[in-house]
Amino acid sequence: MKPLIQLSNLSYAYPYAPPAIQNINQTINAGEKIAIVGSNGAGKSTLLLTLNGMLRPVDGRITFQGKPVLYDKKSLRTLRQKVGFVFQDPDVQIIAPTVWQDVAFGPVNLDYPEEKIKEVVQEALHKVGLEGFERRPPYHLSGGEKKRVAIAGVLAMDPDVLILDEPTSMLDPAGSEDIMDLLDELNQHGKTIIISTHDVELAYPWADRVILMENGRITASGTPEKAFSDRELVKRARLKTPILLELCQELAARGIKNGGKLPTTVLDIIRIIENEHHGNIRLFENGYGSIHVADVDLLSGKKAVAFMNDMRCDTVGVMGSRAKICSRQWGITPDISYAVIDKCILQAMNGKTCAIFTSKGMVSRVIERVNEFNAINNRSIPVQEISVQTPDDQ
Amino acid sequence: MFAHDFLEEAAQNNALLQIHPHTKLFLGLGTIFLVLFAPHFLIPFIASLVLSITIVFIAKINLKFYLSLLSIPLGFATLSVLVVILLSKGQEPIWSWQVLSWLPLSISQESLNRGLLIFFRIMGGMSALFFISLTTPMTDLFGVMKQLKVPDLFIDLSMIIYRFIFIFIKKAHDIYLAQQMRMGYSKPKEAVKSYSMLFGSIFITSWDAGEQFINAMECRCYNGKYPKNVSYNPVEWRSLTPVILFLISIIISSMLASGYQG
Repeated sequence: MKPLIQLSNLSYAYPYAPPAIQNINQTINAGEKIAIVGSNGAGKSTLLLTLNGMLRPVDGRITFQGKPVLYDKKSLRTLRQKVGFVFQDPDVQIIAPTVWQDVAFGPVNLDYPEEKIKEVVQEALHKVGLEGFERRPPYHLSGGEKKRVAIAGVLAMDPDVLILDEPTSMLDPAGSEDIMDLLDELNQHGKTIIISTHDVELAYPWADRVILMENGRITASGTPEKAFSDRELVKRARLKTPILLELCQELAARGIKNGGKLPTTVLDIIRIIENEHHGNIRLFENGYGSIHVADVDLLSGKKAVAFMNDMRCDTVGVMGSRAKICSRQWGITPDISYAVIDKCILQAMNGKTCAIFTSKGMVSRVIERVNEFNAINNRSIPVQEISVQTPDDQ
Repeated sequence: MFAHDFLEEAAQNNALLQIHPHTKLFLGLGTIFLVLFAPHFLIPFIASLVLSITIVFIAKINLKFYLSLLSIPLGFATLSVLVVILLSKGQEPIWSWQVLSWLPLSISQESLNRGLLIFFRIMGGMSALFFISLTTPMTDLFGVMKQLKVPDLFIDLSMIIYRFIFIFIKKAHDIYLAQQMRMGYSKPKEAVKSYSMLFGSIFITSWDAGEQFINAMECRCYNGKYPKNVSYNPVEWRSLTPVILFLISIIISSMLASGYQG
């Protein structure tokens, strides 16, 4: 992995206040999904604001793509185009009277030609699943939609890094899952993503790496399992142990081994229990589980519904914003819309038939992930792409 | 939602939203202009009727909401027209009453005609104005301003104001509710105090919002430009033709009426 942002010895203090962050040393690699976790006032937002030059550190150095960050107007513009920042409150970030104008704000100020502006705005709205909202005023949108507009406004500038300050703090659980799924999707397309949060349950399964912060200092940095394992550290940072990890620790205390891997999902927990049980656990009357993946662009609503009836699908998962739009249009209510692959494997292990609707590039990823799971766990959950020639075609 | 009784909210939801704003402005402004020159009260009366029907049945604006809007100018118009009818002198009074020695009230055919003409001019003009504000949201008008070469500074400022009006009204609404929940406006003295607190915190909020606004713009590479959307659905003959026919019929009937009177 290529180091993208390097922080050395970073400190910042607001005027007339003790340092908000001090002695931060950290390397952020390209393509990572990082969650900065800490209590209120731990310095998360301050740290994030130094990353795109909104705050100038009093001490220490930041390098971006190998070059030290400079604070003249021109360099800052380049930096802010590359490092997109999404504020906690979308009402702060959305500055234009319509969705289209707001998303176009960055590109217009970067002096893109007119044609290109139209193109990038269209594409950004497509990515976040807000096509057709162009002329809506922001006060007309729901919290989740506003957040999406804010993200689209940043995406339109095509940044390498996306920083989100508390992305789900103002959203309902379904909205939060949608946003986290969107962030996963953007990460798949090569964006480095850094979020701050104090929701440990949210950060734990999502992040590649968790950075724990306490009183302006980094106290731990590593995989989520490792970062949250030290109970003392977690308690001192005024956080709590993720429930899955706690469950695993309690199981371990009762002599149940975790097989060398700490769980990050319910799937992992089930595996630990199955190992202890020496075999599969599933309801007797359930059938033989399988997973079917479909590319929404190759399907039509009628075909998708017919297929689901044909296969007697128990669970429908929808992955990615494009697929979500299609399923809404087709009148399909998804059972799963976040962490779709793992949850579908879980269902298939219990003998259920799952259908996953997703967009083009993701089909092969689903198949890969399931096969990988099969290989590691010595399973044979069948996974196949729904071919365009479905039975109802004739 | 706090904005449910806003004109703008109705405009954002009206059924004519997709029609090109030029067509709608042409109808609205054209009617206002022609109604002012109409010689007979029947012409603005019919114009007002046609526009009201358009607003309620074609643009699908809630009838109750529209009537409550109309009642605002109705009050004004009735009062001022009464003054005109009763005080202006005509040749043969139909009815007269000497209230005080210096205050004679009389109604004549001419004053009645004049009063009705003024009344329906007001109502015609107002329904044309309501037609514009109920079918063409501000967000569309910004684009029209740009096409009319209004200075960018003016448009940018009005766009920022537009954006913030809703944020502040929501804020004010929230604070007002919070105050009411704690008996804020129970007594007159209390009410004065609560109002001053309300405006004080709105001031602080707006100061804060201004600072955050600058930050947000900086974060997105602000360089003195504010995007403007001037792309609309094309002007359709289907909608433009009835507008032109309507305006021409007003002109012809005005000419006929003045010929008949002259």
